[in-house]
Amino acid sequence: MTKTFTQDDVIRYVYDEISGEDREEIKQAIICDSELQDLYKELVAIKRQLDQSMKSPSDKVTESILNYSKSLNLLSNK
Amino acid sequence: MENYKISDSKLVSLYKQGNEEAFEQLLKRHKARIYTTIYLIVKDNYVAEDLLQETFVKAINTIKGGRYNEEGKFLPWITRIAHNLSIDYFRKEKRYPTMILEDGSKVFNALEFAEDSIESVQIKNDTHSKLRDLIQELPEAQKEVLLMRHYMDMSFQEIAENTGVSINTALGRMRYALINLRKKMKQYNIAYDQDIYPR
Repeated sequence: MTKTFTQDDVIRYVYDEISGEDREEIKQAIICDSELQDLYKELVAIKRQLDQSMKSPSDKVTESILNYSKSLNLLSNK
Repeated sequence: MENYKISDSKLVSLYKQGNEEAFEQLLKRHKARIYTTIYLIVKDNYVAEDLLQETFVKAINTIKGGRYNEEGKFLPWITRIAHNLSIDYFRKEKRYPTMILEDGSKVFNALEFAEDSIESVQIKNDTHSKLRDLIQELPEAQKEVLLMRHYMDMSFQEIAENTGVSINTALGRMRYALINLRKKMKQYNIAYDQDIYPR
């Protein structure tokens, strides 16, 4: 039986929340349906941009978090 | 999604046994995502760094104190700590009271760019900085789902439960959030890669 997939299914596919047989079926649907394919491309493009747009904290903060953790180890070893 | 050689839960186990390198890996792996989650709520680099530190101090104390729940995933757990601390800060400070202007827009949105730091003025035209600004312009419900799914790695089911809506509503909000961002990026002529096919 051929399943009908919605835009929300594409969202779930992009965010890796569809597994097994359904995943393969929606993959085929995206390849065959130009509307779903356009949506898929849009979503993956923006998802990628969001990943790249992440900010990093300063090295100083990273260092102080690591030092806090190490200091607890030193205390428990005393 | 990136494939890691050692899982987060394995790193947490090693850390519990006193392996500081395991913790360093966890921090290196997730600090940008957690920091960005906080920054998108408090909109201030320095406050975000303070809250990041506070988040990790809580996480370290919980793990070393033997109170970490092994069944949960590490990233959603720690980003939830970060999210809660950021919301608490936001409420306590009341730095951005929501007032509606005559045209229906929020004062909050109008103030946003006037209070930019020197750093953000310098990188105003930078794509990533612009994208973070665009996230701030999303309607609150869409921004909330975007933060929870994309940055906090919560499933749509978990988001639905946490926000008291149906899973279809959560999915719909996420779809609108992403499509709105894409439209805004096109509006600002922000480049993106269109050559993408299903994996």
